[in-house]
Amino acid sequence: MAESTVRPAPPGLPAVPLEALRTRGLRFAELARSALRNPTTLLGLAILTVIFAMAIFAPLLVPVNPSGALQMPRNWGATNAPPGTPGHPLGTTPNGGDVLYGIVWGARTSLRLSLTVVSITVVVGVAMGSLAGFLGGKWDELLMRLVDVFLSIPELIFALAIAAVLGPSFGNIILALAAVFWVKYARIIRGQIMQVKQNEFVDAAYVVGESRWNVYRKDVLPNSITPVVVQATLDMGHVVLIGATLSFIGLAEAGLAEWGNLVSEGQSGIAAGRWWVATFSGLMVFLWSLSFNLVGDGLRDVLDPRTEGR
Amino acid sequence: MSADDHQPRSAAAVDERPDLDAASLISVRGLRVHFETKRGRAHAVDGVDLDIRDGETIGLVGETGSGKSVTARSLLRLVPMPPGVLAGGSVLYRPKQVCGACSGSGCTACGQVGRRPIACRACDGAGCEACEHTGRHTVDLLRISDTELREIRGNRIAMIFQDPGKALNPALTIRQQIAEVFLEHRSGELLQAAGLEDGDRRAGRLMRRSAHQRVRGIERLMLKLPPWRGRQVKLSTAIDDAVIRALEDTRIPNPRKILTNYPHELSGGMKQRVMIAQALACDPDLLIADEPTTALDVTIQARILDLISELQQRRGTAVLYISHDLSLVKRVCDRVAVLYAGQIAEVSDVAELFRRPMHPYTRGLLAAVPSAEQQRGQLRAIRGTVPELVDPEPACRFHTRCDAAVPLCASREPVLWERGDGAAPHRVACFAHADPQVLGVDRRELPVLDEGSS
Amino acid sequence: MTAATNPLDRPAALHAGDHVLNVRAVRKHFPIKDGVLQRVAGHVRAVDGVSFDVPRGSTVGLVGESGCGKSTLGRVIAGLLDPTDGGVFFGMPAAERARLDALLQVPPEARSEAQAAELGDIDQQFRIDRLDKHRRRHYRRNCQVVFQDAFASLNPRQLVRDIVGRPLKAFGEASGSALTERVVELLEQVGLGRQHLYRYPHQFSGGQRQRISIARALALDPEFMVLDEPTSSLDVSVQAQILNLLHELQRERGLTYLFISHDLNVVRHMSDEVVVMYLGRIAESARSTAIFETPRHPYTEALLAANPDETDREPIRLSGSVPDPARPPQGCRFHTRCPVATPRCGWEVDDLVRIAGESEGALDGLKGVERRDPFDAKLVFDTSRQATATARSMQRDRLPDALAQAVRRVERLDDTVAVSLQSVDEPPLVEVAPGHRTNCVLHHDEL
Repeated sequence: MAESTVRPAPPGLPAVPLEALRTRGLRFAELARSALRNPTTLLGLAILTVIFAMAIFAPLLVPVNPSGALQMPRNWGATNAPPGTPGHPLGTTPNGGDVLYGIVWGARTSLRLSLTVVSITVVVGVAMGSLAGFLGGKWDELLMRLVDVFLSIPELIFALAIAAVLGPSFGNIILALAAVFWVKYARIIRGQIMQVKQNEFVDAAYVVGESRWNVYRKDVLPNSITPVVVQATLDMGHVVLIGATLSFIGLAEAGLAEWGNLVSEGQSGIAAGRWWVATFSGLMVFLWSLSFNLVGDGLRDVLDPRTEGR
Repeated sequence: MSADDHQPRSAAAVDERPDLDAASLISVRGLRVHFETKRGRAHAVDGVDLDIRDGETIGLVGETGSGKSVTARSLLRLVPMPPGVLAGGSVLYRPKQVCGACSGSGCTACGQVGRRPIACRACDGAGCEACEHTGRHTVDLLRISDTELREIRGNRIAMIFQDPGKALNPALTIRQQIAEVFLEHRSGELLQAAGLEDGDRRAGRLMRRSAHQRVRGIERLMLKLPPWRGRQVKLSTAIDDAVIRALEDTRIPNPRKILTNYPHELSGGMKQRVMIAQALACDPDLLIADEPTTALDVTIQARILDLISELQQRRGTAVLYISHDLSLVKRVCDRVAVLYAGQIAEVSDVAELFRRPMHPYTRGLLAAVPSAEQQRGQLRAIRGTVPELVDPEPACRFHTRCDAAVPLCASREPVLWERGDGAAPHRVACFAHADPQVLGVDRRELPVLDEGSS
Repeated sequence: MTAATNPLDRPAALHAGDHVLNVRAVRKHFPIKDGVLQRVAGHVRAVDGVSFDVPRGSTVGLVGESGCGKSTLGRVIAGLLDPTDGGVFFGMPAAERARLDALLQVPPEARSEAQAAELGDIDQQFRIDRLDKHRRRHYRRNCQVVFQDAFASLNPRQLVRDIVGRPLKAFGEASGSALTERVVELLEQVGLGRQHLYRYPHQFSGGQRQRISIARALALDPEFMVLDEPTSSLDVSVQAQILNLLHELQRERGLTYLFISHDLNVVRHMSDEVVVMYLGRIAESARSTAIFETPRHPYTEALLAANPDETDREPIRLSGSVPDPARPPQGCRFHTRCPVATPRCGWEVDDLVRIAGESEGALDGLKGVERRDPFDAKLVFDTSRQATATARSMQRDRLPDALAQAVRRVERLDDTVAVSLQSVDEPPLVEVAPGHRTNCVLHHDEL
C-alpha cells in the first residue's frame, strides 16, 4: 500500500546503515509530530520544561544553602513573612524558611524522587513480569501470587508502614515507594508478553534458529514495552504526589526542601491567613502531577498499537 | 443496472404511469465515502452507482481495499464518521408494504411474496422529481433522521456479517438475541398474538420490558402477581413461538433446545444460522450479506448459501451479497458488480459476466483462480498491488496494473458504458470499450484488449 | 507409549525412495484445564495418530477444515510443538527408514532390549525432538516455515534488512555489509529489491509482506519448507503471484514443500500428493490427481463437491458440524456426518442420543447417562413416561437406516432406558490402490 509514500533509494548509492537510522528517525519524528499535535500534551510538556529548567538551574535562581543544598535555609529573623518581603519574594514559613527556595530546590527533590523510584520499579517490575510472562508455568504462578499479595494492600498505607518501620527519612520514602510501585509494571508487562508471545513473528524467530533470550530481547520485549512507557510517565507524577503525602504527614526529615514538607509546614497558618506557604507548594505538586498526566495521556494516544504505523 | 431506470421521463401522463414493480428497491447514486488518514484523504468509495431490484441477488465483488464493505455499510450508515466522511451521493430506498389484497400471505397481486411497492406520496405514483420518476415512495437513507433509520435497520434492511461469533452478543441467549428484533420492530404484533390488547400503553411497555428481561425490583414482583402473571406467560409464549418459527426457517433441528444457549455454545455454522434467523425475522426487503461464509468451512458454507437462497426465494427478499470470491458469487447471484479501488469496473448478469468478462480486471481475477487446467507456476497473476487511494489522480484506477494500458488510461477517468446487447445488459468502465467519438479522441488512442485472454 | 501401540496406519507400504520427512504416528493432545485448581479435565486431540511421508523435491498438500489438526501438525513438523506421542523424522535415508518401520511394527511392550536401543539410536539421529545440538542445528536450518498471517509473522519493530537477515545472523553466516548484500540477493529473488531494505513491515502490502516472509525462509537455503496457508490472507490476484513465485523457487532450488491449506483449488494446483485430514486423523491420502479424480473417501467427495468451482459435481451437503476433538466419535470419525454411513461405521450411544434428541419430547427429563462403554449405556430419566417417550423416539423406523441397523438393544425399564449398539474399532488407513490410502470401510470392502 505504501508504495507511493516511500521514496525509493537513489540508484547506485550503496545502502548504508545511515538509511536505517533515517527510517527509524522518521518514525520517531512522526510519533513526536503527532504527539505535539495534541494541545493538552503540548501544555503538559511546557509546564514540565519550566519545572525541569527550574530544577537544573536552581543554583542560579536561588543561592545554595551552605548547610546542604536540599536543606531549607532558616532565617529566624523573618518568620511568616508574606510574599513580596525583600529577599523572600514568595514569603517564608513559620520556621523562617524561604518559600521560593523550597519551591525551586523542591523541584530537584521531586525529580530525584520520581526518577529514582520510577527507574527502580520499571527495572524490577519488567524483570519480574518478563520472567512470569515469558517463561510461564511455575514462574508465572509464583510471581503472580506474590504480585497479588502486594496488590491487595493499599499502596499509600503500605508505603506508610514501610516508612514508619524504617524511620522518617527521604531515602526511606524512595524505598517505600519502590516497594509499592514495581507490582504494577510486573502486571502490565506480563499481560503484554502473554499477548505478544502468541504472535506468529515469535514463532518465526524460533524457526530461523534464534535463541530464547534473543527472541525475548528482539521480538517480545520491544513489542510489549509501550504501555510501560506510558505508565512510567504517569507514575512520574503519581510518585511525587504520594511522596508529598508521606512527607506531609512527617515521614521525611524535617527541613527538607520538598513540596509536601512545605505544605505540611504551611497548613497550620492557613486559618490565620498565612496562605502562601501551602498554596505555592501545593500548586507545584498539582502542576507536576498534572503535566505528567497530560504527557502520559498524549503518549498513550500516540503509542496505541491500534493506531501506530497507519 | 438498467441504465434507463432513472432517466427522466418527458411526459408523465396518467395512463403512462411508471410500473411500480419495475423500479429498483435501492438506487445508490454517486456514492462517495472517504476516510481521513494521516497521509491524506483516502477515497474508499468514489462514485458508486448501483441498483438493487426487488427480490434479486446481486453480488458485490472486489478484493481488499475495493470498498465493497464500505459501500454496503454506507447503505445503513454503519460507517463510523469520523474518520469516515460522506463526500457525496445518495442511497434511495423504495420501501414496500404488506400486500393489501392478501395481508401478507401471498397472492397473485403481489407475486406470492406478500408485499407490494408503496406509491410515491408526493405524486401518488405518477412520477415526480422526489421519486426519480419511478412513482414509488422514496427515502434517501443517507439523509433521513436517526430515528427513521433505526426503524429501517434490522426491520426493512437487515445485515449479516462475516463473523457470527462477533456479531452476536455473547451475553444474551439465543432467545434473547432474536426476541430483541421482534420486540424492537414487531412488539404490537407480538402483543396481539399473545391476545393482549394494545390499548393499555403502560401494560404494553411493561410487557415489552419484561420480554427484554429488563424489569427491576418492584416490577419483577408485579409480574409475578395477577393480572400481570397471566399476561407475562402469554407474552413469553408468543415470543417463544415467534423465535422458534424464525429458527425453524433456518433448518435448525429442534430449535426449542437451543433457546437458552449462549452463542459460544454453538458451532460456527449454527451461529451463522441464528444470525440469519435474526436478520430475516422481520421479513426485510433487503438482506445485506457481508462475506457470510468466509469464516466457515467449505462443507458448512455450501449449506448456508443454500439456506440464504431458499429463504430469499420464499420471501422475495433482495440480497446484496458481498464477497471477494467470484466463483461463489457465480453460484448464488443473479447479477454481479465488480468493484475496484472504490469504483465499479463492470456490472452485468452473472452468466453474461462469466461468459464475456469485459474489464481487464475482471478477466485477471477470473484467470488468477488456480485450477487443475493451469500448469503449476503459470497462473495469470495481476501484477502489482491495489493502488493507494489517497487523493487519486483522475485516471483509470486499474491502469497501473493493466497490461493493455495506454496514455489515455492514465489521464482520464472512465465511466460505466453500456455495452451489452438488448437481452443482457452489461456495463463496463474501460476505455477499450469506449466510443472514441463520445470521448473526442482518435480510435488509435484507445487501449486494445487481447481477446484471447478471457 | 510409542508409535506402534496404535495398530492403525502401519506405514509399511508407504513410498520407497528418497524422503525429506517421515511422520510416524504423531499425536498432539492439548490438556483442557478446568476450575480454580486448573485440573486437567480432558484432552483436545488435535492430531491423533498421523503417518505420512514427504518425498524429496515434491509438494505434499495437507487439506482439511478448521480444527482438523492440519496447522497443529504443521507446527509439530516445524519443531514449534513437541508431539505428545510418535515422531517426526527428518532426512532419514531409505535403509534407516526401513529399519524404523520394522521396529515400529513391534508393539513397545514386546520390544527386546536390543530393539529398544536401536530405536533410541534412530530417534537420536533423525527424530526432530530428540536430536543432539549439532543435528538439531542441521534440521533447523533445513526446515523453514512460511506462516499464514502476512501481518502477524513479521516483527513490526524490525526493518526488512533485519527480518530477512536474521537467520543469517543467528547462524553466524554473515554480518555487516556482507549481510546486507545477501539480503538484497534474497529480496531480488522474491521480486523485491534494495530499495525495500530499510522499511518497516507496515509499509508493505499483504503480498509484499508474504514475499518478505519467503525471503526470510530462503535465507539459510533450506531443503524443506512448511507453507502454512501462505496465501489464505491474500487476495486472489496476489495469491497467484505468490503461488507462481513458490513454484519457481521450488524448481530453481529443488525445494520440498508441505503445503497446508483449506483451499482445494490451491492444493490441487500446487501439490503432487495430497493428505486429507479430518478431526486429527488422515481420512485419505494419494497422488493429487487420484484424490481429485477418484476420491475414495466420502469426506473428500463432500469437500470436492462443496467447491463452488466444481459445478458439474452433484452437490453433497454434510449434516451437522465437526464434532468436538476432545471426544472424537468412535469408529470412523466421519460417520456422524457421512452421507453414506453404514452400520459398521462406529455408531455409539452419543449418536443415538443426539439423533433421538432432534425429535420433540425425547430426552426431556434426562438425568444422566451411565456408560459402560461408548456402545453400551443406561439413560436415567425423572419419570418412566419420559423414558418411554425417549425409547419410542429410538425405535428403528424413527432413525436413519445405518444407525437403526447398528442398534442392538433399546430397553425401557421403569425410568431408565438401556441401549447398546454394535461395537466397532477405528478403521485403519489402508492402501486400496497403489499409493492411495483411505480409512473408509466402504473402500476397504473393494479390496
